Amino acid sequence: MKEWSIRVILLAAFVALGFWGWHGFFPSPETVIRKRLDKLAKAASFSSQEGLLAKAWNASSLGEFFTLDVQVTMDVPGTQHIISGRDELLQAAVGARSTVSSLTIELPDIKVVVAPDKTSAVVNLTAIGKVSGQSETYLQEFRLRMVNVKSDWLINQIETVRTLSERAVAGISC
Amino acid sequence: MDVAPLPALLLRVLIGRNPKRTLVRIIVLAIVSLVVCKFVLVPVHVDGGSMLPTYRENGFNFVNRLAYLFHEPRRGDVVAIRLPAGEHVMYMKRIVGLPGETVAFHKGQLYINGKPLNEPYVKLPGNWEHEPEPVGPDHYYVVGDNRDMPWDDHVHGRAARENIIGKVLL
Repeated sequence: MKEWSIRVILLAAFVALGFWGWHGFFPSPETVIRKRLDKLAKAASFSSQEGLLAKAWNASSLGEFFTLDVQVTMDVPGTQHIISGRDELLQAAVGARSTVSSLTIELPDIKVVVAPDKTSAVVNLTAIGKVSGQSETYLQEFRLRMVNVKSDWLINQIETVRTLSERAVAGISC
Repeated sequence: MDVAPLPALLLRVLIGRNPKRTLVRIIVLAIVSLVVCKFVLVPVHVDGGSMLPTYRENGFNFVNRLAYLFHEPRRGDVVAIRLPAGEHVMYMKRIVGLPGETVAFHKGQLYINGKPLNEPYVKLPGNWEHEPEPVGPDHYYVVGDNRDMPWDDHVHGRAARENIIGKVLL
């Protein structure tokens, strides 16, 4: 192989390494938000192996993902409910954990739109929930508003979305 | 007659006589497969029972993304509808109402502009009741074939044309 082609390959590898390193050390807000939501999905999932104490502890760990004044608007068949504040949300999470033995949450689709000033973002996501002992999977669309608090992206607002709904969707914006 | 030793034969079957050409073929095949699966025929796994019995749970199908290149969606087409967050999860529904029409259900019977619509694909009828609802421009009313489900548990409604990504192939 000629010397110049080796140089080109080395240069390309160096550029790729630099690009990868830059994005690793200085991730974009979108990447940070995606990772954060993946962590949230893992934290919200639980297995039947967990004891009561572990369940309560893991449910309380969800608090780090939300602002104190988080507002959740649930509009799903059979339930229309508004949760105001992190404490109420955590209580609801603990309550939900006691009703099913295990839950796995996946977020296959996450679309993030960061505001130009990078202090807030609107996230559309599709969540899939699988409950042990049930063959059916639960699909729910959500729209989130996240805010950047001291370099930490926290969820400030959550609402359920129905793409094919007759109702107009309330507007969450950056 | 010479019989090639097994490893050499296996190598020839796997790599061919000309490894460079085989590599090019593999790369071309991979690119074509990626392009076809992304932009032409999207493979989908059917989850949920709202399209029963036409499409069973855990079935496998394809979405033809080019189906509406030269004409608009038609009544009766089973389509894939994209969600706002992405395309890993899509709704699979049948178009029953076209833009500008009015859709209603009375005792499970579907009415379009006040006239009952014959739906031979509905094998699991229900008793849905729904007031006449207009379908806006550039929107289509979509619903599953399984009407035996409770109204609230069944995802249905108006899908924007831009969110209809293609027609289910089989």
